[in-house]
Amino acid sequence: MTRAFDGLASRIDALGARSVGFTSALLGEGVSTVALGTALSLAELRGDEVLLVDGNWLQPSLSEDAGLDAAPGLADRLARATELDAAIRRTPGSRIAFLPIGDRTSTRPALRALGSFVASETGSFETVVVDLPPILAGEPFVLPWAAVLDQICVVLREEATPLPVLRQALGRLHAVNAPCIVLNRAKRSSVDVPAKLLAART
Amino acid sequence: MRPYLATLRRYGWLIAAILALVWGAGLASAYVDYTTTFESDATIWVLRASPELLVTSPSDPSAPILQTAASQQADLLDQLLQTQSFVRDVVQKTSLSAALAAAQDERRFLASVGKSFQVDTHGTNLLTVAYISHDPKIGPEMVNAALAVRADRVAQASVTFSAAASTLYQQQLASAQTQALDAQKKLDDFDAEHPAPLSDIQQHSRDQLRLTLDFAQIRLGDIRGRIDQATLAPAVLAVSGMEFQVVDQPRVEATPRGGTKPAAMTAAIAFAAGAALVTLLVLLGTILPSHATGPADVARLAPMKLIASVPRVSRAQGSVGSGDVRRSLGAIAFGGGREKSGPRG
Repeated sequence: MTRAFDGLASRIDALGARSVGFTSALLGEGVSTVALGTALSLAELRGDEVLLVDGNWLQPSLSEDAGLDAAPGLADRLARATELDAAIRRTPGSRIAFLPIGDRTSTRPALRALGSFVASETGSFETVVVDLPPILAGEPFVLPWAAVLDQICVVLREEATPLPVLRQALGRLHAVNAPCIVLNRAKRSSVDVPAKLLAART
Repeated sequence: MRPYLATLRRYGWLIAAILALVWGAGLASAYVDYTTTFESDATIWVLRASPELLVTSPSDPSAPILQTAASQQADLLDQLLQTQSFVRDVVQKTSLSAALAAAQDERRFLASVGKSFQVDTHGTNLLTVAYISHDPKIGPEMVNAALAVRADRVAQASVTFSAAASTLYQQQLASAQTQALDAQKKLDDFDAEHPAPLSDIQQHSRDQLRLTLDFAQIRLGDIRGRIDQATLAPAVLAVSGMEFQVVDQPRVEATPRGGTKPAAMTAAIAFAAGAALVTLLVLLGTILPSHATGPADVARLAPMKLIASVPRVSRAQGSVGSGDVRRSLGAIAFGGGREKSGPRG
């Protein structure tokens, strides 16, 4: 099932990015699915545990999927209301360490707190994948992450995402590194480099 | 063709909404039109008048002898219904006269009324005059009024023509009388100058004068007959009513009738409009692509680069839809977790 995300994971691995955030221009582009699949694929590729963070302040669907939407998580940690280890959930047999959204009403993601969180507190993880809200709908929740993550990927859905809207969203995203584009639900996979990388690794 | 099909799929809901709106409105309008339209008609038996009763000569080359009696009368009514004065006279005989007086644009009102009439022939001697309206009581009124005004017009035209013909014949009669008197005088003078016995030459001259007098008297009699015919024929025709007999009187219809054609037209227009809108949408949506349809479109977002494509998981590949992909990934990452439906990011 995760093979669909192997190409993307390989490219991220090739970029050497430790922390990656996934966002989109609009809702419904498949960002959470891409983040989840990529985290699983990266865990398999790098052979190490991946920290998957639900940073979607608007629609924390990963936390809902995990049944942890009421559990303490990222927001509580940023508010210093809980310990990170207590908030991270691990599933036996899975290389995914999941940090749910937590109580979103307690705080908002601030740049300083996020910088400390990504640089220091997640230092034990070789890979950090963050699921983020759409840029246009949740710009205040995306921009701080864009400043602290190694790489921001903007997911667009083939034959669905309006390009003018996407341009508008990209214009608002001021990341340290230029955001990269992930074409979701593509009819054909366009990535050739990851295939070579995969072959070299095996 | 594939790009157009893709556009069709992309705008599926919008197209469905447009079609539902346009076609639904059209069908509703057609239904209302159909159920509120009432047609009232009169069936009329027509005969061509006997040549003896015609004011004009049957040998007149302008007489419409190639038409049947029904088509002749139908054409006459059709032509009358195209004139505003006729329609105005018809309306003024009905309960629509108040509406005519209140109409801001009388010309449009009369044109609308005129178009609501329909005259059809059925065979050589039968025709129907119908009126279509949304008020079942108006139809019979209008048909009866149209027939009455037509009768008035025909009678008036006949009297006018008769008077003109009489005047002409009176002038011809005066001339013929002069000629007859002149011929009689010449014959009398000849008899007075030439007592019997007459020679052969004198007898021949007298026969010529007699023949001229006979011709003059025959012509005089013929003209007098035509004068009588021109005077009496319209009255005889009007009294007999044989030329134009209403066989079936128009009735107040209780059930909708006659709205099929307008309703079908409305529905067809709505259908065509919906199809045209959808076609336009698909054409514009295809020609002016505003969505990323592949890596080539993403390349236009430079300096942003496409890092990878996540292929679409289709049923044909052995998996099931995108929602199941998400559930499967969630099961791998979170174990049991919690199944939840609804939109997901």
